[in-house]
Amino acid sequence: MKLTQMYKASAITLALGSAALLSGCASTGSGDTAMVAGKEYLLTSTRPNLLHVVDVETNKLLRSCKIPGIFGSNSIVPSPDGRIAYVLTNKWEDVYGFDITNCEKVFSAKQSYQNVQIKTIISLAVSPDGNELYTVQNPVVKHADRFEVQQPRLAVFNTADGLNARAKRFYPVDRRITKIGAMDNGEVILGGADLKAIDPKTGDIRVLKKLQNWQRPADKWVAPDAFAMQAQGEHVGEYILPYFTIKWNGAPGEMEKAEFWWGMNRIDLASGKLESNELVPFEFIFFNLVTDPNNPDIVYGAFNNLSKHSVSQHKTLATEDLEHTYYTINMTRDGSRLYVGGTSSDISIHDPKTLKKTGSIQLPGDMSTADMRIARLRD
Amino acid sequence: MNNKLKRALSGGGVLALASLMAAPLSAASQSGAQLLQERCTSCHTPTADGGLSRISEQRKTPEGWMTTLNRMQSQRGLRISADERRAIIKYLADTQGLAPAETSGKRYLLEQTPNVLDDTPAEYAEMCARCHSGARFALQRRTEGEWERLVHFHMGQFPTLEFHALSRDRAWFELAVSDVVPQLATDFPLKSTAWDQWQQADKPAPAGGWTVAGYLPGKGEFSATLTLNAKGDDHYGLTLSGQYADGSPLTGQGSAVVYTGYELRASLTVAGVKMRQVLALSADGSRMQGRMFPRGATEMGGELSAIKAGHSAILAISPAYIRQGESRTLTLTGNGLTGKVRLASGLKLDQVISRSATQLVLKVSAQSGAQPGLRRIQVGSSAMQVALYDQLVRVDVVPADSIARVGGNGGKQAKVNATYRAVGYAAGKDGKAGTEDDLALGYMPASWSLKPFDAVAEHDKDLDYAGTIDARGVFTPGDAGLNPERKMSTNNVGQLAVVATVKTVATEQQGQARLLVTVQDYIKSPLQ
Ligand code: HEC
Ligand code: HEC
Repeated sequence: MKLTQMYKASAITLALGSAALLSGCASTGSGDTAMVAGKEYLLTSTRPNLLHVVDVETNKLLRSCKIPGIFGSNSIVPSPDGRIAYVLTNKWEDVYGFDITNCEKVFSAKQSYQNVQIKTIISLAVSPDGNELYTVQNPVVKHADRFEVQQPRLAVFNTADGLNARAKRFYPVDRRITKIGAMDNGEVILGGADLKAIDPKTGDIRVLKKLQNWQRPADKWVAPDAFAMQAQGEHVGEYILPYFTIKWNGAPGEMEKAEFWWGMNRIDLASGKLESNELVPFEFIFFNLVTDPNNPDIVYGAFNNLSKHSVSQHKTLATEDLEHTYYTINMTRDGSRLYVGGTSSDISIHDPKTLKKTGSIQLPGDMSTADMRIARLRD
Repeated sequence: MNNKLKRALSGGGVLALASLMAAPLSAASQSGAQLLQERCTSCHTPTADGGLSRISEQRKTPEGWMTTLNRMQSQRGLRISADERRAIIKYLADTQGLAPAETSGKRYLLEQTPNVLDDTPAEYAEMCARCHSGARFALQRRTEGEWERLVHFHMGQFPTLEFHALSRDRAWFELAVSDVVPQLATDFPLKSTAWDQWQQADKPAPAGGWTVAGYLPGKGEFSATLTLNAKGDDHYGLTLSGQYADGSPLTGQGSAVVYTGYELRASLTVAGVKMRQVLALSADGSRMQGRMFPRGATEMGGELSAIKAGHSAILAISPAYIRQGESRTLTLTGNGLTGKVRLASGLKLDQVISRSATQLVLKVSAQSGAQPGLRRIQVGSSAMQVALYDQLVRVDVVPADSIARVGGNGGKQAKVNATYRAVGYAAGKDGKAGTEDDLALGYMPASWSLKPFDAVAEHDKDLDYAGTIDARGVFTPGDAGLNPERKMSTNNVGQLAVVATVKTVATEQQGQARLLVTVQDYIKSPLQ
């Protein structure tokens, strides 16, 4: 990977990210788009601030729900029954839950209050029974003439509280937590400097895997940079967080001899089993990874290209150029289609076998950094 | 991305400092102290020692105060008139400014010089100097508590800060508070002897005539007379009158304000173009040094130095080099150039072509066997050195690392050009090019061209899209927007090598600089 290419990539990103004023017709759904239990629906969001529901069988946009407030970052988590899409919006502050079958707003929580600014950076999850919603709050008190940073905390909401919900419980957590996920045992995975899990009944925290504080010798390995702006994994029930690290074969800093690696943390939400290892040599950027439901040894990544990797062989099996930069990737539960989205206003559909493009979905605005999730509707 | 490049990136586009410069004297000469009481106390509270919370525990440049007031107005709800704003900035810069010595080495930020690679110490580089320059905080003085509140401000103002690359790989907030804040309080403390002394010192009086020498990209070197007429309360009327090296006239008119007793900020119109001057007066009032640039295109500016009437000095000799066995016309700019002309050994005065108190044009020849090295040219009691050299062996292009930004094409942001000059070198005593003892010959005329910077740039055909360079070393980037002709419809960005070719009778040498053409800078601040 050439740094210059990296720079260009981010230049593209910046240009797209700021082309903000695209069309914004909020075509709230026509009535005849009945949704069927057992079927999958792709959920994503675009500027100005809309939640879109796409039928993955027909790749048709079924309806677009108006989200209150300003776009950003629009992380999305579907409820376990696939009916409610919770969206973190209004510049990382508010959460809204929409019934995806009719756009009805069934939940809302404004996190900031009075002179306390509360931002949630991506951290959004729902308990396995759908009764609780979790965010990690980063509060800053805005006094009359100064700001004061406060300890971040896990906030627990009852989804049944509906509109204007208030958090029921708070537990202190580390700073710099991004992606979170709820395990079947009730614990919430906290993706931060290290991977931890918190019990949202007691606030007890245990370390799942040390990352920045890993025990590898500092003269051999650079502490991993684990980061992902988008969430996925609902198609196989997992939490996945890529990381980047450098292995020094010579002296630390000796780039000529160094190896650059992508790594992956993958947690099975049902069993809590964690894999954390280097994945493939760093040859190009991907922002996110998804596991092939039919073969957990295969993962796919996307950014400027779509790529397919073998976990056990530490090998990139195939790549396919994309038409532009896409931030996120997701997959249907049967493993028949890959969806590549984010950044711009189109979703690119690909065949996982060949990685070839098989179709696309056009949305009325830019997805920017919004999530793209695939919910399955239950009865 | 390497640090140099990042430095260069954050030195980029800048907004004009309109309100600091253009300053017609207002009748509302309300005292600054009174204005602070009336306008700030709804949020800032009186302190035990008679000050105001936050406000009294910081010192900064006029531009620094202006940025803070900009934020108070745009984001905190402060309501003040333009006149009140000017009065508050003037008052705070005068009473809580920086001493001249406290700005040294960091003036590039005030002067809005693009592509400066400043040497921010490692303890700040990644923590603090990756979004803006190191001069941003090196040009402020605060108590430890105020440095800490600045960290809290950053966290509240930029909620994603600790999640960025180069923050999320460390405990950014905790480290900032535990390590960086005490370091800042030590390096840039509120109380200093330099400031105590400057407050006591007699301040220079700038009114009167000045001889200036300077350079503007695309135009060339110039010499002129600058006159400052006192209007009271540190405000001045200003006229500029002179010519460029090619004989074309340079005239301008405007006004100036002196802050903190030495920080001169002028606003003037030159040939229909609104220009700014950011100058520092020397403590004795005899000199001014700084930069002049167009208001809307700060990168199209250049250095300016001035000497006051009544003081004798040579400001510039152009060119500043002469080759063994060669005869050359040298132009000296300065003040009181009336005394006897004396040349150091190896140089011979052939003819005085023309002479005034501020400009002296000499025909000089250098002996063919003369030892290469620096030679004094003396006029009366003033002197300056020129380089007597044997052979041109090396050319450097300055700046060596630079950026330009695409723009125009119907977008809101204008193109940001990049401008270059060529500096020549002889080998020096060791006879080898590229060593410490190379003899700098100063700026030399060059012809300019572009090349792809590397294989990637070549493959992406950056040369075809990223922009063009003219005969004067001014690079103009391509149009803004996605270009469907390019791979992935990328912008007209690219990496180029800027090549200067300098020809002397005996030889031809090339030098090159790196140029990154990138996208528009959407975050504009008066101080980068
Ligand atoms: C409406 C409320 C309000 C008013 C009026 C106000 N400020 Fe502030 N000021 C704030 C807040 C809030 C902060 C802390 C956040 C920040 O730095 O922007 C602050 C911070 C500051 C700081 C510290 C900035 C730093 O970089 O650490 C200074 C200096 C300041 N104000 C000066 C002034 C002056 C001078 C005035 C009057 C001309 C003024 N303020 C009027 C609300 C106000
Ligand atoms: C994420 C990018 C970022 C980082 C990291 C950062 N800054 Fe800033 N800083 C900014 C921006 C943007 C502003 C402009 C704020 C405004 O006025 O709107 C600013 C403003 C400032 C100011 C001027 C404030 C005033 O009103 O006078 C100072 C001084 C400063 N930063 C110092 C620091 C120091 C010291 C650090 C390290 C502890 C730091 N910055 C780290 C982005 C950053």
